[in-house]
Amino acid sequence: MLAFLGSAGMVVALVGALLLVIRGISAARNETQPNLGGAAQLLLAGAVVAMGAMMLALLTDDFSLVYTANNHAEATPFPFDVATAWAALEGSIVLWGLVLAGYTWFVFRRYRANPDRLGAAALAVMGGVAVFFFGLMITVANPFEVCVQALEVGCAQSSPWVFANVDAPANGPGPNPLLQNHFMMAIHPPVLYLGYVGMTVPFAYAIGALGLGVAGPEWLRRSHRATLVAWSFLTLGILLGGWWAYEVLSWGGYWAWDPVENASLMPWLVATAFLHSGIVQQRRGMLQAWNFVLVISAFSLTILGTFLTRSGTINSVHSFTQSAIGPALLGFLVLTLVGSFTLFSTRADIVATSPRIESMVSREGTFLANNLLLSVYAFVVLVGTTYPLTLEAFTGTQVGVGEPFFNRLAVPLSFLLLLVMGFGPITPWRSTPPGLLWRRTRTPALVALAAGLLTALVVTRNGWVALAVTLGVFVIGTMTGLFVEQARARTDKTSETLPSALKKVAMGDGAFWAGQLSHVGVVLVAIGIAFAANLGSHAEVDLSPGESADFQGYTLTFESPFRQVHPSKTVVGARMTVTRDGTFMGVVEPSANFFGADETGVSTPDVLHRPGGDLYITLLGIPEGGAATFQFDTSPMIWVLWLGGLTAATGGFLAMAARRRERSHIPDRQTADV
Amino acid sequence: MSERARNIITIVVMAAMVVTLIVLVATSPSDINRVQAIGEQIKCPVCQGESIANSPSSMARDMMSLVAERVSAGDSDTEIIEELLSSYSGAVLLDPPVGGPTLALWLAPVAALIGGAGVILWWRRHPPEPNTDAPKESARARRLAPLLVLGGSLAVIVVVAGFFLQDRAGPASGVANLAGQDLEDVSNETMEAVITANADHPQVDGMRLALAERYYEAGDYSAAFPHYLAVAQSTKVTGSQAVSALVRLGWMAWDGNDEAETAIGLFDQALAIDSSSSTALYLKGQVLWCGTGDLEAAIDLFEDVLADPELSPDARARVESDLAAARDGSACT
Repeated sequence: MLAFLGSAGMVVALVGALLLVIRGISAARNETQPNLGGAAQLLLAGAVVAMGAMMLALLTDDFSLVYTANNHAEATPFPFDVATAWAALEGSIVLWGLVLAGYTWFVFRRYRANPDRLGAAALAVMGGVAVFFFGLMITVANPFEVCVQALEVGCAQSSPWVFANVDAPANGPGPNPLLQNHFMMAIHPPVLYLGYVGMTVPFAYAIGALGLGVAGPEWLRRSHRATLVAWSFLTLGILLGGWWAYEVLSWGGYWAWDPVENASLMPWLVATAFLHSGIVQQRRGMLQAWNFVLVISAFSLTILGTFLTRSGTINSVHSFTQSAIGPALLGFLVLTLVGSFTLFSTRADIVATSPRIESMVSREGTFLANNLLLSVYAFVVLVGTTYPLTLEAFTGTQVGVGEPFFNRLAVPLSFLLLLVMGFGPITPWRSTPPGLLWRRTRTPALVALAAGLLTALVVTRNGWVALAVTLGVFVIGTMTGLFVEQARARTDKTSETLPSALKKVAMGDGAFWAGQLSHVGVVLVAIGIAFAANLGSHAEVDLSPGESADFQGYTLTFESPFRQVHPSKTVVGARMTVTRDGTFMGVVEPSANFFGADETGVSTPDVLHRPGGDLYITLLGIPEGGAATFQFDTSPMIWVLWLGGLTAATGGFLAMAARRRERSHIPDRQTADV
Repeated sequence: MSERARNIITIVVMAAMVVTLIVLVATSPSDINRVQAIGEQIKCPVCQGESIANSPSSMARDMMSLVAERVSAGDSDTEIIEELLSSYSGAVLLDPPVGGPTLALWLAPVAALIGGAGVILWWRRHPPEPNTDAPKESARARRLAPLLVLGGSLAVIVVVAGFFLQDRAGPASGVANLAGQDLEDVSNETMEAVITANADHPQVDGMRLALAERYYEAGDYSAAFPHYLAVAQSTKVTGSQAVSALVRLGWMAWDGNDEAETAIGLFDQALAIDSSSSTALYLKGQVLWCGTGDLEAAIDLFEDVLADPELSPDARARVESDLAAARDGSACT
C-alpha cells in the first residue's frame, strides 16, 4: 500500500517536473501563457506524498518496503525512526527531491506574483533538475521497492513492481549505529540539504538568463538573493555537522577534512565568493561573466559532492560501478558542466561587461582579492579530495591526502582572507582618497596588536592563536570604526543622539551590516578553531573503579562501571566524578552504545561544558569489573566556534530579511557608499 | 603635535608591538607532543580517512602505542614513520610529499593562485571591449573557442576517468547482480572489493562465505579468518551459514594455531545453533582426541556422527576408521 502510494508520488512528481520543463520553456519564449501552477503543484504534491509514504512506513514499522527492512528496526526510537528517512542513499534522494520541489514552489510563487520570461525560464531549469532526481528515484535508487524474499532480519531480494508478492521480514537491522547516536541526525541533514539544494535556484536563474540571452542586473539580483538563502542554510548545516562530529565521534574533533565535509565546504566557499562578487556587479556593472561561472560552479560542486559521497567512490574506487547511482550522477555532472559552459560561451557577447576597474585600492579591488583567495581555497579542497581517487583510477598508486595537506594550505589562505576582510568594508568604491585607509585602520590596528600582545603575555605564546586574535580584533575594529564614523556623520549634521544615529545607520543599509555580522561570525570561528586546535591537551589513562587521575587541573574519579539495557540499545559505560580544587564539578558518563546486533559499539563521549572550554572524556576500553581506559581531552574556547558559526548564519538570514524590506521600501543605500 | 609626527609615532609603536609579538611567539617553549604529531600523519588502515591519532579503533590504538614506544626509545620521526608504513599494509602518509606522484597536488594550488592573480592583472589592463556592430560572428567565435575547448576537455577528462574506473572494477557489480550470477567467474579481488563496498548489505554474507571458502581451500587461513568471523558475527545470516563459519573458525584455530580450547568453544557455539551438525560433531571429536586427549568424549561424538542416516558413504568410512582407531587407544591421525 505504502509502496504504491510512494511510487505514485514519485511518478506524479516526475510528470509535474516534465510539464514544468515543457510549459516553462514555452512561457519563456512568450509563445503562450501556459499555466505553470499546475505543474509546480504536481511536483510539490508528488514529492510530499513520496516523503509522507516513507515516513509512514518508518513510523508504522512497515517492513514490506525494502528500505524499511534494511534500514529500520522496530525498536528504533523517535526521532531516529524519522531520521532514518535520510539515513541511507534512496531515502536521502527522496529528501533531496522534496527540498527541490519546495524551492521550485518558492520560485513559482515569485513568478505567479510577477510573471516574466526569466522566472518561467528558471522554472523550466528547476523542472529539468527535478526530472533528473525523480528519474533517478524511479530507476536506479528506488526507495519504494518491496521485499520479495525476506531474511531473518532484513531483506534479500526486492522488486520495483509494487504489486509483487511481498515477503516482509519481521524486523530490520536498524540504521547505521553512528547515525542513531545523537538527535542532531534528525536536524543536520535536512538543514544541510536546504543549503545544498538551494544552490539550484541561483543556477536556474543564471541558466534561464543565458538561455533567453538576457544578461544584466535582473538575473543577478534574483540569483544573489537565492544564494543568500542557500548560503545561510549551508552555513548552519555545516555548523551542525561539526557539532554532531564533536558530540559523537569521540575524539573531540569537529572537522577532519573528510570527503563528506569537503563536499559541503566547496559549494560554501564558491557561494561565499559569489555573495561578494555579485555586489560588484550590482554596484559597478562588472564581473558578470565571472558571476555566471561562480553560480554554475557552486551548483556543479553540489552535484560533484553528492557523487563523491553517495556513489561509494570515496571508500574505494572499485565501488564506482557497484550501483548505477555513480555513473548517473557523474553523467549529470558532465551534462551540467558541458551544457552550462557551452551555453555560456555561445552567449559570450552578452555576458561580457565593459566598465574598467579604476584602482585596485578600492572596494572592487578587495572583492577581487577575496574572490581569488576563496576560489583558490575551493580549488585546494577540490584537488585534495579528488587527487587520490584520480591517481588511483589512472595509475593504481595509492596516496593519502589528509589533514596535514589541507591545513598547510587552508590555514594561510584563511589568515589572508581575514586580512582582506579587515580592509574590504572600509575601502570605498572606485578609488580611495589618499590617507583614508590609514585614518580608518590606525586605531583598529593598534587595538588589534595590543590584543595580540595581551594574548601572548597572558594566555598563550602560540603563534597561531596570537595571529588569529590580532587579525580578528582588526576585522571587528575596522568595521566598528566605520559604524561609529557613519553615525558621527549623522549626529554632526542633525541633532540626533549617537545611539539613535547608530540604529539609523544599521537600518539604513541592513544587508551590508548583516553581512558585517557574518564577518564577526567568521572571526569567532577562526579564533575558536585557533584555540581548540592549538591549546587542547590530550591524555590516555587506565583506571580501576575507585581510582582517580589528575588532568589539566581536574581530578577525575572512576566511580563505577554501569550497564543499561534499552529496547534499541545496550549502554556500557563508566560513571566518573569530576572535581577541581576540591570543588565538585559534575558527573560524566562516557559510554559505548551497542545497537541491535552491532558488536563493536559506538563510543559515546561525555563532555563537561565550561566557560573556558570543554573537558571531553571518551571511554576507550569497556570495563568488565576491572580497569577501564579513558581518553581525556580539553577543547579550550570551543563554544566560540559554535557561537561564530551561528552568528555567521544569523547574518545571512538577517541580510535576507533586509533585502525583503528593501524590495518594499525605496532603497536607502547611502551608507554603503563610504 | 603635528599630524605627521603623530603618524610617525603611531607607526613606531606598531612596529615595536609587531616585533615584541614575533619575539614572544618565536621564543615560546615548544610543547609539541611527538607521539600525537606522528600519529596525525598516518592514515589508520581500517578507518575512512582518519589518522591513527584520531581513531578509537583497536588497530589505531596498537599503532599509537608502538609510536609511543619508539619515541621513548629515542627513534627519529622518519624512522618511526617508515616502520609504521612498512609493517602495516594500508597505512599511508596523510601528509603527501612534495615530489613523486603527489608533486602535482602541491603545484596545482600554487599554479591556481599565480594564474588567478595573472588573470586579474590581465583583465585590469585589457577590459572586455564594449559591444559594437563590428563583425559579431568572428568576435563571438573568438571568445567561444577557448570556452568550448575548456568545456570539451572537461567532458573528455570526466568520461575517460569514468571509463577507467569502470575498467578497473572489472565485471563486478552490485551484490544484487552478483547474487544471481555464477560466482565462479568472479576473481577474489573483485569479490573483496564488492564486499568492502557493501559491508552492510544483507546479501553480502553469502558472498563472504564463498570467498572465505576459497581462501580456506587454498590454505590461506589468515585471509579466510576475517570473513568467517564477520559471517559468524552477522545477524543477517541463516543458521547453516553461521554454523559453517563457526566450524571453519574452530578448525582453523586448531589446525593453524593449536588452540584446542578455542576450537572446542567455537564448535560448541555451532552445535548450539544446530545440535545435529555432523561436521561440528566430527571435528570437535577430532580436536578432543588429538588436542586434549579426551578419548571417551571423542568416541561419543564419533558415534553421534555415525547415527546420522544422511551421512555420505565417504564420510561414513572416514569416521568409522577414526572411531576404530580411537577405540584401540591409538594416537590420533
